[in-house]
Amino acid sequence: MRTLVGSIGYRNLRDHSAPFEVLDELARTDLGPDVVIEDISYNPVAVVQWLESLDDAARFSRMVLVASVERAGRAPGVVTVREWDRVLPSDEAIQQAITEAVTGIIALDNTLVIAGYFRALPPHVSIVEIQPLEHSFGAELSAPVRQGVSQAVARIRDLTMTGEATA
Amino acid sequence: MCFKNLPVEFDDQGQPFLREGIPDPYTAAAAPADVPIQLTPDQVEDLIRRNGHIKSVNFDPVTRVAGALAFHALADFKERRVLEARSVATLFRGYEVIMVGRDPRDAIYITSRACGVCGGVHSTCSALATEMAIGCVPPPLGVLIRNLALALEFLYDHPLHLHLLAGPDYSAAIVEPTNPALFARAKTASAPRRDAHGYATIAALMEDLNPLSGRLYVEALHMTRLAREAYVLICGKYPHPQTIVPGGMSSTITLTVMNEMFVRLSQFFDYSKKITGIWDDLTDFFYDADPKYKEVGSRRANLVDSGIFDHPDAYDATYDNAGAWGNRRWATPGAIVDGELRTTDLHAINMGLEEFVEHSYYEEWTGGGQRQRFASDPVGKPLSPYHPWNKITKPRPQGQSWKEKYTWDTAPRWDRLSMEGGCYARLWNTAVAQKLPANAFIEATGHSLKVRVPRGALPEMELEWHVPRVWNAFERNRARAHCVAFTTMVAMNNWMAAMDRLKNGDTRTSTPFEIPRTGEQRGVGFWGAGRGYLTHHLVLDRGAVSNYQILTPSTWNASPTDRWGQPGPYEEAVINTPLLEETTDPREFRGIDILRAIRSFDPCMPCTTHIHSDAGVITREVNTCACGVDG
Repeated sequence: MRTLVGSIGYRNLRDHSAPFEVLDELARTDLGPDVVIEDISYNPVAVVQWLESLDDAARFSRMVLVASVERAGRAPGVVTVREWDRVLPSDEAIQQAITEAVTGIIALDNTLVIAGYFRALPPHVSIVEIQPLEHSFGAELSAPVRQGVSQAVARIRDLTMTGEATA
Repeated sequence: MCFKNLPVEFDDQGQPFLREGIPDPYTAAAAPADVPIQLTPDQVEDLIRRNGHIKSVNFDPVTRVAGALAFHALADFKERRVLEARSVATLFRGYEVIMVGRDPRDAIYITSRACGVCGGVHSTCSALATEMAIGCVPPPLGVLIRNLALALEFLYDHPLHLHLLAGPDYSAAIVEPTNPALFARAKTASAPRRDAHGYATIAALMEDLNPLSGRLYVEALHMTRLAREAYVLICGKYPHPQTIVPGGMSSTITLTVMNEMFVRLSQFFDYSKKITGIWDDLTDFFYDADPKYKEVGSRRANLVDSGIFDHPDAYDATYDNAGAWGNRRWATPGAIVDGELRTTDLHAINMGLEEFVEHSYYEEWTGGGQRQRFASDPVGKPLSPYHPWNKITKPRPQGQSWKEKYTWDTAPRWDRLSMEGGCYARLWNTAVAQKLPANAFIEATGHSLKVRVPRGALPEMELEWHVPRVWNAFERNRARAHCVAFTTMVAMNNWMAAMDRLKNGDTRTSTPFEIPRTGEQRGVGFWGAGRGYLTHHLVLDRGAVSNYQILTPSTWNASPTDRWGQPGPYEEAVINTPLLEETTDPREFRGIDILRAIRSFDPCMPCTTHIHSDAGVITREVNTCACGVDG
């Protein structure tokens, strides 16, 4: 199963930049020839166009997206893995996401919504989220997120090898 | 006289010198004369207290994303006008800090990430700054291919802005509910340029501007796909190129690559005719329907541009000759004040730059015994202590206060004036300066720019952009549409020149270089983004970056009010915007005229500020339902 592991985030934003640490660690691992690691932290319209431009042999069957996302009720460093259910928001919200994309904003939700709307996503899309703690400018990760990075790496390796994440 | 507000004068030979006999001339210089002044917070409080019909209106966020650009306005719903406006960048711009201590080559990749849309322009600008600092001149084919790459990036940006960001504000889906009478008029208004774009009425055109479903919206996406494909042929990846280097391009250019590029580029011939016809017709329709639309987004025609697209026979990467090679560019550099072109000299443009932080979350870097690092540029022309080569980025987060500090953006000024950047400054300078290289497609008349676009499915057409008499949101969009035609034909000229070189066996696209490990060097990349003005100022110390300063178009446009009370361009444009939306109930107010004003600048907030500092702002709650693999 040809798989894309993609990071989405801002660099030098402490815990919000954890996805890049995850990708760097994965890049040092042999994930096999069918796994492509790519930073897709850019305009989702262009991400759609890139995915659509791939020829049949290069197309992905699975996508694993990793991002730092703050959600209520989660402890810092917690890693969650879920499958995207492909339910799209209203047209107004989709246009809102595209407007943001056009102005250079990078956000996991926008990439999902826009790529989903244009049917550019592969059949299986897994989302790996790390709950951030520190939001200030800088390169250093907080201690819990540092641990979360190792956990995220392990779970993405499982996903790419078996298609399932360990609990 | 190039400067009217800076303490700089010129001798008989035209050489600038600092006004003499004043101990601290830049500090002592008088406030700029005849500029608009923002209301003070005390005046605003008094107005609100005395008038029930004056309300605060907050647009958070204008670009509809949490954490990028917020906008505060004080609207008088009785007089239907805006009294006060404040542009707020809520993200910290940290790229200058990141760059310090690094190898300058890192800047090509690091600054590209300053934006999720226009990475190539930052990469190129940093390559130009580095090649100036180290003395590396790209070969002619490298210059031509670099021009082509960036023209293609603009052909991605302009349709995206016009029909995915600004276009929906003029679509049936927005005009009908906000201005029903206007839309009723559009149904019977014929479109004069039907032959170019195919629409019989303005209403039909507005229907196809509808977001997601409109044909013009979908077509713009298709055109960006073509531009991206052509860009990738020479840059490897979009939007973050892999082949831009100091001294040229690392791409291998063959006739096959050039032919594949032409297949895509030529599809912009007809699109240029169509998109200029659309925005000419839309603009004329709104003006005819209500002349007050000429005031939407209006401000003084103060524009600055660093020029772009070098001529391979002129560009030598030196600061000394920047005035000369700048004037040989396909888009002439320039500073326009109140509609008059003051200069096209890159030295004068550079000398006039200053950045102020009175209302920004940064500490002052001047005063307190701080020595001004550079009193002059590399050829001895005076520089302000507030010039980017002298600036030190000292972030200082604190609470928001209109009286004190309220934004992460700084206040760049040229000759102490609030200037705007935009691709339209490219047209304006080039049209008026009449310094274009000889060519078959583009002609500068002194008051207009004529672009002859070859035949496609549509016949050959001569498109003419006129220097506007008024400067407002509509003219920004109209000019951006004409920039599609201008950029296409600049690309065509460079494509033809590159083909000539290849046919003659000249395939060299880059010059080898080494980063000097001793001494201090300075460089500046004078370039442009799809959105206009772009400079990277660089200082190297023993091979490492000791100062790096980026000025983007949105840094200029979103800038706050300055130390003299002069508002930034967004602020000024919104203050001048009449509220023409057909509603008497402030609760139903959508602020469409204000949004049209701001979006006409093509706001690019990540370019302005890059990184946020407040907790939990960038990410939003997920807006799609998901079931976890975790169960």
